[in-house]
Amino acid sequence: MPGTSEQIARLREEGMAVIAAARSESDLLDAKGRFFGKKGAVSGILKGVAALPMEERKAVGELANRARTELESAFDARLSGMREKERLLREGRDRIDVTLPGRGSMPGHRHPVSQTMSEIISVFRRLGFSVQGGPDVETDYYNFEALNFPPEHPARDMQDTFYIESAAGDLVLRTHTSPVQIRTMERMKPPVRIIAPGTVYRSDSDITHSPMFHQVEGLAVDRDITMADLKGLLTEFCRMTFGPTKPVRFRPSYFPFTEPSAEMDIQCVICGGSGCRVCKESGWLEILGAGMVDPSVFGFVGYDPEEYAGFAFGMGIERIAMLRHGISDIRLLFENDIRFLSQF
Amino acid sequence: MKIPYSWLKEFIDTRLSPAQAQEALTMAGVEVSSCRFLGEGLDSVVTARILEMRPHPEADRLSLCKVTDGSTTFGIVCGAKNMKAGDAVALAKTGARLPNGVEIKKAKIRGQASEGMLCSEQELKLAEASAGIMILPEDTVPGKPIADALGLSDWLLEVEITPNRGDCLSVLGVAREIASITGEKVVLPDVSFPEEGEPIGDLVRIDVSDPELCPRYTARAISGVTIAPSPDWMRRRLTLCGIRPINNIVDVTNYLLLEVGQPMHAFDLDRLRGLRIDVRAPKETLAFTTLDGSERKIDPGMLLIRDGEGPVAVAGVMGGANSEVVDGTTRVVFESAHFSPSSIRRTAKRLGLSSEASYRFERGVDPAGTVYAADRAVSLLSRFAPLSVAKGMIDAGGESVKPRTVPFRPERVNRIMGRVYAPGACMEIFARLGFPVADDGTGTWNVTVPTHRFDIEREIDLVEEVARLSGYDSIPTTYPESKAPEFSGDDRFVDIQERAFDFLRGRGFSQAVNFSFVGGRTWERLGTFLGFDPADAVRLVNPISDDATLMRPHLLTGLLSNAADNVRRFIDDVRLYEGGKAFGKSYVEGHFEEARLGVILCGKRLPGDWSGADTPADFFDMKGVVEPLLLHLCPSPVHVVPTCLRPFFEEGKAADILRDGEIVGWFGAIRKELLVSFELPGPVFYGEIRLLKATASPPPPGRYAPLPKFPPVFRDVACVFPTGVPVGDVLSMVREASHEVEEAGVFDIFTGEKIGEGKKSVGIRVKLQSLDRTLTDAEVHSIHSKIVKLLENRFGGKIRTS
Ligand SMILES: [Zn+2]
Repeated sequence: MPGTSEQIARLREEGMAVIAAARSESDLLDAKGRFFGKKGAVSGILKGVAALPMEERKAVGELANRARTELESAFDARLSGMREKERLLREGRDRIDVTLPGRGSMPGHRHPVSQTMSEIISVFRRLGFSVQGGPDVETDYYNFEALNFPPEHPARDMQDTFYIESAAGDLVLRTHTSPVQIRTMERMKPPVRIIAPGTVYRSDSDITHSPMFHQVEGLAVDRDITMADLKGLLTEFCRMTFGPTKPVRFRPSYFPFTEPSAEMDIQCVICGGSGCRVCKESGWLEILGAGMVDPSVFGFVGYDPEEYAGFAFGMGIERIAMLRHGISDIRLLFENDIRFLSQF
Repeated sequence: MKIPYSWLKEFIDTRLSPAQAQEALTMAGVEVSSCRFLGEGLDSVVTARILEMRPHPEADRLSLCKVTDGSTTFGIVCGAKNMKAGDAVALAKTGARLPNGVEIKKAKIRGQASEGMLCSEQELKLAEASAGIMILPEDTVPGKPIADALGLSDWLLEVEITPNRGDCLSVLGVAREIASITGEKVVLPDVSFPEEGEPIGDLVRIDVSDPELCPRYTARAISGVTIAPSPDWMRRRLTLCGIRPINNIVDVTNYLLLEVGQPMHAFDLDRLRGLRIDVRAPKETLAFTTLDGSERKIDPGMLLIRDGEGPVAVAGVMGGANSEVVDGTTRVVFESAHFSPSSIRRTAKRLGLSSEASYRFERGVDPAGTVYAADRAVSLLSRFAPLSVAKGMIDAGGESVKPRTVPFRPERVNRIMGRVYAPGACMEIFARLGFPVADDGTGTWNVTVPTHRFDIEREIDLVEEVARLSGYDSIPTTYPESKAPEFSGDDRFVDIQERAFDFLRGRGFSQAVNFSFVGGRTWERLGTFLGFDPADAVRLVNPISDDATLMRPHLLTGLLSNAADNVRRFIDDVRLYEGGKAFGKSYVEGHFEEARLGVILCGKRLPGDWSGADTPADFFDMKGVVEPLLLHLCPSPVHVVPTCLRPFFEEGKAADILRDGEIVGWFGAIRKELLVSFELPGPVFYGEIRLLKATASPPPPGRYAPLPKFPPVFRDVACVFPTGVPVGDVLSMVREASHEVEEAGVFDIFTGEKIGEGKKSVGIRVKLQSLDRTLTDAEVHSIHSKIVKLLENRFGGKIRTS
């Protein structure tokens, strides 16, 4: 009898629907009669099973029995729920309504940028990096010069800078967290292995740029650090942040304070690599910049580039948070609308 | 920079398809952000000729055309009137889907069948707007794909050039880059032409008075030229690359700028007073009108091109109106010079004037390229305009241009990159780059770098060339050797902050992130209420808006406006916190920054409570957050004292929090004037914590104290005090009153008629306990009496005996 299994499935479905629709105990009991009575649908099916050829009987029989058990327990649960409710209505005074909200507040919400930043920090701390901070109001020397951006160098155009009123005229709001590299290397000898999370500022504002945003910078210096180490570390980082199967690529780029320099891309999280507006049809999204510390930077902090090598990397947190959560307008991140924050 | 693929092909006959070139360049560090086929949507559009044209019998504004594509004749109803029989036109056949999205179907228009459409430039997305349909040149052959006829079977690459690779800001530069990737050869177009005019030296005298700022100045002169539009192909290329065609002379200089990256300038020779050019920076400030019509203030040190009487151009930035090529120009001097990048950058920045030329000079231009560019310009021009070229050229400083030699240790690249590059492979890469290598067997090679790669000065620059041209894909992934991690003070700070955030989250607060800059206008207006001292403000020189002129001295205003914004969105119960820095001036370091934590609260005490009480939050709800938060972060006692130091709080509803004698935070009710100005309806409570100060001295691990073995005794004291008596002080006193007082707390507090004006009743429960015995009634009584006496004497209390 082909189609018995389909019949069983349909019967199960119908039964569940009737149980859910029952408005009163009598409705429910009526339905029970219709399904489980002597002439009920379930008995009909079970009889049908008995008529099946031997080789099918076992499998279909099991199916039918499972359906019957499920239906029976659904009937029972619904019935006891109904009776309990009626009883509560009758004797309501002695009982409490356990479904009322508890007293006190439900937890608040972490800001998505802070949450992403915190996760990135903990990934790198697990990988042996320690945290270093630095001032937001920086000198031109730390923000640019010691990072190999000479005065009058076009690389300074890469970052629109806010200047701070000061007597010497050399104060800026840091445009990146990279000054922390210099401050750290001035203070200690290798081995160095730090990350520098923080707020940075650039005079730029549209749906993907904010005049203030957050970065995490990393720096490792030792006798035997190589670019292969950098690639390994960052590949691992991307796996931990975007999932182990997300393809990544590493390609040459330029930053004044690293050489060779690189950019790391992940496969576009929106289109999966086929090309879309977000990835400008390339299938890739730029996630972070990195490179080997430029020997002239070592010159500024008194490290010998023949003895030591190092790598540095940096990433924008807003961008990563926006990609992770599918947020398309950066300004949402700074409006602090509770309806927005409650989603995280 | 935009580069048509066909133009690249003129310099390198590469086997790479446009898409492959995009990928290969990007993976070598010259990012090609897009590669667009220009003939997109022109598949079914062909050239055609109008055979006959007559008015539509039913509609005046329409005409009926018979057009042929050479083999078939089509009947077309057309709304334009600008064509006539015999014209060559663009015919979109039925089934075409035009670049503007229009689909061409067979149609009947007022009873007449139309089997296609005659297109306008706008419909083909060749122009923003057009009047009438596009008329093609007379010699157009019908039946050809329109993309071929218009040179649109081409791709436009958009190349993003990093600041170090100024050499790639040209077709030639990108072609060289392809050559160094594929090993193919770059071929420069031939630039021969007859030189039949007078010797150039007889036409114009050129001096370079400031050779520091202008290391090389090359010039060619032509005469007998007629100013006219450039040929279509040149105009099309300029337009594709974003440069507006002007006339044959100006266009050719712009063409060379794009083609070889050499900025050039054309002077009308007859407008150069005294027929001379002097390259010199002025010693005094002067005014000069550039060819965009603006009068510019030229400061000493800005390099100018002068004629016999005064300035005619700002060198390398923009020419002057007084010497530019005009319609009647017949004799032209082409300048092809090399200027110092930093001088050009300074001048362009100070004048606020950036041009295609200054952009390139700032990033570097090949000093060896001036002669080729000048020759190429003259040679191109001589192909489409009748002219006579002056004999010879002027080349001041040409002898100083020499390639650089950079030492390179092949072993070094392995050390930096963490993989082995065979010396042979390095050699091959340098060969592709066109860098001759001398290996004298010492382990250090001498690599000669041609002048167009001015970015390569050091060994590390050569290491990078080897690495990028071998592909970063070939770098293995290893991990830095692990060392015991450091634990810095900032690690501790991050942990503290995380604990604070978690605590507040648990209490129902959500996290806000606000800008560190705050609005000048608000602050100047509300300054005194915000505790703002203009003299102490850290100010931005170039704020992005009037609302972002200062670095915030505390976190209050960001959270206040967040609260107001949320209330305006019908969210009445606001609980927010923010971790961030506050800024101010300091006499020691110029300015200071301090990590703070701000907390704001308004609305109901228990949002979502169903007991019907609906009590609004008050001061003690805020205290009940900040005080336990401080103890959560660091378990040493804090003291809350009234304060009048914080003008943003209501008088009498403000407190400072002290720990070890230092102020570590404050909280209170926001004062009315601020609520009004931020349009906040109800009371708002705010607290701010100085995170580092508050957690500066964690107590050592506490010593265990033995647990009491004997039962405690409780005594309640109800006492009436003058309203001003601080209950906290009363409790401290009670706790100190006797060794046996284990704990003292308030169980009840009220005021009212029964008690009397200016009085309050406080019920105090005292827990008495001894470690070594059960207290006797007499002992309890004696302690109780002592406490009562102290309450009366110290605080003017009166025991209530209800
Ligand atoms: Zn995409």
